[in-house]
Amino acid sequence: MSDTGSVAHSLLLVDDEPRIRRVLRLALEDEGYEVAEAANGYDALAALRREPPDVVLLDLMLPDRDGFTVCREIRRSSDVPVIMVTARTDSHDVVAGLEAGADDYVTKPLVAKELSARIRALLRRVEPSNARQAELVEVGDLRIDIPGAEVTRDGEALPLTRTEFKLLAELAGAEGKVLSREQLLSKVWGYGYFGDSRIVDVHIRRLRLKIERDPASPKHLVTARGLGYRLVS
Amino acid sequence: MLAYGLLALVLSTVLAVVTWGVVSDYLNNQRDSSAVTITSDNAAALRYGLFGVPVPCNPARVRGECDSPQAADGVHPMDLLNSLPSTDAAASMLYFEKHWYALTGKPSDLPPDLIQTALDGNVVSRRVEVSGQPVLAVGVPVGRPNEAFFEWHPLTALDNTLLRLKLTLIAAAIATALVGLAVGRLASTLALRPLAELTRVADAVARGKLDARLLAEEDRDLGGLARSFNQTAAALERRVAADARFAGDVSHELRTPLMTMLNSMQLIQNHRAELPAAVREPVELLGDDLDRFRRLVIDLLEISRDDGGDRGSREIVRIADLVRAAADATAGREVTTVEPEAEGLTLQADKRRLERVIANLVENAEDHAGGCKGVGVEAGGLGVIITVDDAGPGIAAEDRTRIFERFGRGETSGRGRGVGLGLAIVARHVQWHHGTIQVTTRPGGGARFIVELPAKSS
Repeated sequence: MSDTGSVAHSLLLVDDEPRIRRVLRLALEDEGYEVAEAANGYDALAALRREPPDVVLLDLMLPDRDGFTVCREIRRSSDVPVIMVTARTDSHDVVAGLEAGADDYVTKPLVAKELSARIRALLRRVEPSNARQAELVEVGDLRIDIPGAEVTRDGEALPLTRTEFKLLAELAGAEGKVLSREQLLSKVWGYGYFGDSRIVDVHIRRLRLKIERDPASPKHLVTARGLGYRLVS
Repeated sequence: MLAYGLLALVLSTVLAVVTWGVVSDYLNNQRDSSAVTITSDNAAALRYGLFGVPVPCNPARVRGECDSPQAADGVHPMDLLNSLPSTDAAASMLYFEKHWYALTGKPSDLPPDLIQTALDGNVVSRRVEVSGQPVLAVGVPVGRPNEAFFEWHPLTALDNTLLRLKLTLIAAAIATALVGLAVGRLASTLALRPLAELTRVADAVARGKLDARLLAEEDRDLGGLARSFNQTAAALERRVAADARFAGDVSHELRTPLMTMLNSMQLIQNHRAELPAAVREPVELLGDDLDRFRRLVIDLLEISRDDGGDRGSREIVRIADLVRAAADATAGREVTTVEPEAEGLTLQADKRRLERVIANLVENAEDHAGGCKGVGVEAGGLGVIITVDDAGPGIAAEDRTRIFERFGRGETSGRGRGVGLGLAIVARHVQWHHGTIQVTTRPGGGARFIVELPAKSS
């Protein structure tokens, strides 16, 4: 049932509750994923090194260290999409998790089918939003290689995660026009009108840290107050 | 406070009366004795003139008999009176050898008994009225029995002084009382401030602001009261928070088994075709109730989140877009009508909460009231008015507040199961956005829920 058809996507499930791991593994395998399990942060990082998965599903409440720390450690070595599982949509947890490097979040109680939709959205490759779009976009000193999923500045590759790259590519595809947060949520994350726009805001912030020379006063990735964001040279 | 003022008034009055008594006595005595001295000196001068001999004795100073001297020759008492030094005396009269000699004044103005006392050889002084003026009449014997010299001295100046003194004292007493009142007020305000504070804080706690505390724990007099009040308030706050947390904790605990059940059920339903025919219907029933159970747990979490004081996130939202997205998605068809003036209205909102408001109202209409007959968005009221109409039997007037309480389904409306927490969450979230909600009857029957939110045109 995986969207690529041939190869099943692999998923690392990090949760300290054995029954949750068991039932999610069963349900997600039934959805067509290959599922590996880890009961704590230490095991999760070991499993990640041993056999990198396509997506990590990370519970924020872990016994040995909190999910935020684990997420930051994953981000040090990997651009793998991370979906965090939170108990609540409380501002603090969600924003802290996204700041730690998570790509998206889901709340308990979660069902494999909904989770599968989130995973598919994150794994979807960037498709040019209009036919005339160039494969290589230059914005100021940034070179964005759409098919190669790479951004370089002065010949040096910038370490973007896959979701950050998709966000940048969508903005580049808009050719300087403003994209609203709702549009970005829909294009990058596959959310409808009621998606959480904090996801966009935190990703924009993280993206600026990587592509702007002075993230505090961005030159390329600028805010159109009350409207959204746009990418300018 | 008033007591302070009264006390000050009493004290200052007593002080004023005593002062008045002492001072007026003293001044009157002074005036008396100075008048007697002047008259006596004049009498001595007269005696010298009348009898031509040095005064053998001065009856004004030595109380006793003097020898009776013989009158000198060729003496004219009127001349003698005229030669007396000019004093402030208003009248001088001499009774000599059975005749009155009066320079000024009339002997008839003097009280007869005063005249008699002086003629009997005594020095006498008395306050009398002469043609309306207060005077001090003084009589002094001049040497022989039945002969005496009389003067009267005006008391107007003294009386004026005393009047001024009296007015001053009254004014001072009133001023002191007023100052006392002010000081008393100040002192009582200072002394009662902790009590006023207690009243204010107790009121706040009673109105549901359970974290209000007294700051007077260090106060020497009220520290004990403040501490026990604060402990009581803290215990109450803990109790209420624990009650509120209970539902949240229970649903938290329910989440793990719920997740196991939901995912297992999904797996089973994915393989429905492989199930024996006999279990398909029970599985369907189980699935339906599991879904209802999931919604209840989510609602409980939602409402306990609010009890836990979740601040949510606010962003500027075009209200028409939000209502359209939420209502049409929930109903599964286009149900929203937006008045043109309402299109541009925006609102600082938590999108997730407002979605729950609209979705719950539409769901309520769809599931329990014969279907949603339409959702309207128009400008007006607090800013924007959102109406959700249903095709149900309407809601009896006596149930129109109860339905917004937790598990407060209408008793007489016969609304079905599952009303539970949905409308309570709606009421909460509307209130969170500083809006209002009410339910009326839709023209043509059915209920109409009316939500007003403070929106602005952008």
